[in-house]
Amino acid sequence: MAAYRLLIIGGGLSGIAAGIRAARFGVKTLLLEQHRLPGGLNSYYIRQGRLLETGLHAMTNCAPPGAKQAPLNRLLRQLHLSRKHFDFHEQLGSEIRFAGRSLRFANDPELLETEIARVFPGAVDRFRRIKQLIAAYDPFADVPWRSARQFLDDHLQEPFLADMLLLPLMVYGNAEEHDMDLGQFVIMFRAVFEEGFFRPGGTMREFLDLLVRQYREYGGELRYRAPVEEILVESGRVVGVRLENGEVVAAEAVLSTAGIPETMRLSDWQGEPDRYTGRMSFMETISLVPRSQAAALTQERTIVFYHNGPRLHYRRPDDLLDPSWGVICFPGNFSGLPPEELVQIRVTNAASYPLWKGLSAEAYGQAKLRWTLAATCASEEFIGNYRRSIVYQDSFTPLTIERYTRKAEGAVYGSGVKIKDGVTPWPNLFLAGTDQGYLGIVGAMLSGITIVNRHILR
Amino acid sequence: MSRDEIKDVILEIIADIDEEADFASLDADAPLRDQLDLDSMDFLDIVMELRKRYKLQIPEEEYPQLATLTSCVNYLEPKLQHV
Repeated sequence: MAAYRLLIIGGGLSGIAAGIRAARFGVKTLLLEQHRLPGGLNSYYIRQGRLLETGLHAMTNCAPPGAKQAPLNRLLRQLHLSRKHFDFHEQLGSEIRFAGRSLRFANDPELLETEIARVFPGAVDRFRRIKQLIAAYDPFADVPWRSARQFLDDHLQEPFLADMLLLPLMVYGNAEEHDMDLGQFVIMFRAVFEEGFFRPGGTMREFLDLLVRQYREYGGELRYRAPVEEILVESGRVVGVRLENGEVVAAEAVLSTAGIPETMRLSDWQGEPDRYTGRMSFMETISLVPRSQAAALTQERTIVFYHNGPRLHYRRPDDLLDPSWGVICFPGNFSGLPPEELVQIRVTNAASYPLWKGLSAEAYGQAKLRWTLAATCASEEFIGNYRRSIVYQDSFTPLTIERYTRKAEGAVYGSGVKIKDGVTPWPNLFLAGTDQGYLGIVGAMLSGITIVNRHILR
Repeated sequence: MSRDEIKDVILEIIADIDEEADFASLDADAPLRDQLDLDSMDFLDIVMELRKRYKLQIPEEEYPQLATLTSCVNYLEPKLQHV
């Protein structure tokens, strides 16, 4: 008898959610996290006594308590967490800013439609038609890849507006370059433009603590600083893992959330890791500015999606960073959050993993300074100047992401090709998390839940 | 367990899965899923909870027998007679 019925690699949101499901129904489970904190891509770190979040700008899929079929509420029921445990705050409102044109949107989907009627009056009827098509589309049906861009070309016939709509959906949930699968587009359209943004009160630390507490209350075990070195296979079956310190842990089944390329490496799975290595990674710059100097910057906006240029190129840049498009997030701008003395501004831009990886240690430090400045300057064109008011600034690159999360090449949305059924060549090794298919915080948790329901509980 | 006890167990399990479940106008002979707006994931939880509590293994092909409250009781009565 193995020591555990289920071993989960990775204490990110998909791994913790998977753990809660398994432990809740009596499956003896051990969760292994390499880092000393939970959260994976959505974690936090402490600098100069201040807690800074990684990953989270906002959660998508906002839903009121009574909407039982809304992904957020299904997720909470599956984890047996009452909404009463959470204090949720909706966004104040967001904006898509492209070369002089602006569309605002909020959690009331009417606002976006009104804005499109104002800025693209000739296209608003076609936009309404698109909403109907999206409402009727089943994104979970098992159908071949379809181009979202082609769908928008056919039905919207307004390339500039198509790019404006695509940017938030791609940057918050598209692992592919240039285009996205229509099913994923529909999932993201609903998650962002129809359900909308919110965040839990407090920080990511409290949110993660709550999930970890739930897991432990059901008897789930968790070990931090326990990096897995190898997934052990005998006679065609996984029998457990060996940790970096040499310790062997036996298990009847293993669920890996480390991504397909990393899982291949750990398990000697003979596949093509390159095919499953995502190309989209990002650099994020966090700046803190005193509240007295920040009011003009934030203008009650939660997130600004910006682009400067004729057509949007959602792809790995040719340089270390592409500041021509990106996301500016004000994590303090959710309704009902207490005002902080220092306002946070987070700027996210596409970054090239291989170029960052190729730098020497010294050149890396210099490049980080240079591109942090470039990202800050690019954002100033859209929100106004704040460079001189910054009291603290920090950036993380694709290399930082890879180091802390093991996501190959720091690809936050994982592989462009997903393995939706979570199955691997071994009958008792499964995948969950970004490379299984659901993205974002809500998506990652649903991924862990779905895979455990399907392969462990049944 | 008596039929009434089984019925109470089912309702208790559903109430635990969904804190907003409203049984006031529940028709015992109509599908639970539609009336309570449950999905297949919630449904799996009923099965899992029965397994956890009574070590009952319900094969997937028999899930349809749990469709209504009455059919649940009919299906579970022989299985839980010694509980």
